[in-house]
Amino acid sequence: MVAAGWLSKDVAIIAVPIVTLILGLIIGWLGQRSGFCSIGGFRDFFMFKHTRLLFGYLALIVGAFIGYLVFWLITPSAFTNFFWLLHNGLMPVPGAPAGLTVAAYVILAVIGGIAVGLIGVLLGGCPLRQCVMTSEGNLKSLWFVIGMCVGAVVYTMWISGWGVALLKAAGIA
Amino acid sequence: MKNFVTFIYSGAAPVGMAETKADKNEKVSCLDTLAKNPLYVGLAIGILAALVQVLLISAGGPEAYGFCVACHTRDVVNVAVNDIAGTKLAVAAISQNAILPVLTVIGVLIGAFISARYYREFRAKTGKAVSYVWYLAGGIFFMIFALFMGGCPYRLGLRIGYGDVVALIGVIAIIAGVLAGIKIATALAEREG
Repeated sequence: MVAAGWLSKDVAIIAVPIVTLILGLIIGWLGQRSGFCSIGGFRDFFMFKHTRLLFGYLALIVGAFIGYLVFWLITPSAFTNFFWLLHNGLMPVPGAPAGLTVAAYVILAVIGGIAVGLIGVLLGGCPLRQCVMTSEGNLKSLWFVIGMCVGAVVYTMWISGWGVALLKAAGIA
Repeated sequence: MKNFVTFIYSGAAPVGMAETKADKNEKVSCLDTLAKNPLYVGLAIGILAALVQVLLISAGGPEAYGFCVACHTRDVVNVAVNDIAGTKLAVAAISQNAILPVLTVIGVLIGAFISARYYREFRAKTGKAVSYVWYLAGGIFFMIFALFMGGCPYRLGLRIGYGDVVALIGVIAIIAGVLAGIKIATALAEREG
């Protein structure tokens, strides 16, 4: 079944930049007001037992579930694989390098997760917080955002292919 | 659990006040009280991401892609590089099919800037040159490892809401990384005095 949302394909391809830009403006505004930060939430919880930011991140998961559930009830065709676990088992939602086994995805998630948490804590925030701090005038965060842009190209050009080849050579993928 | 409930109610109190007070300035400040509470911000981001999917999924997948700082940055940068240098770097189907890629991150930068200016919280902060190098390297590695996982912590959250177990493992790994980072940061702080 082809996924179909509220907008037809012809309209949606034009609406993508507009809708996502508006979404970004709203999230940027909210993020600036609240200091919203996922990794900061875990950090504050483990260091100071502050739950303010942590509940924000948990609320994001709950909000996403509620949102998907409600919109899935209204328009099932836009969420062909909801609830993912029941349709696809342990295979993750596409996004990481395609065509690997579940074991390989788990390994990638563990390695990536640990590194992301480590870097996030040492540099004082997850990517959203870094973007917001950039807009608040923090030059260090600006360099982080520039680094993310460089990292994206580096990853797609070299790392992605090598990583998959390495996993396949190790017999995991 | 009790904390969670009081947390909700402490934030919810201004909502009732907003209905009784007609003054416009008061209403703005009440909205701002909501916007300052990460709990409501998180709920809003989750629901808005689902709304984006129901609006735009016809343009292409993947699913649970409403909001992601890492992937959406990757899409914008790679589409720009493809256009300028004529390369064929991979981007998500939605950004491939649409006239322009997903602009969420650009929106975040602009939105936060407007907000910081509006509330007079814009302060230029500089650091030492060596710290810029650290942040640049940190950004590069952060992006690479985030794309290994298939998203930044926010998309992992959306994927958990969508029913993805591997995303849950990713978040647990992030917690492990955070704990390790706290250990390193405290050790560094103690060594410096």
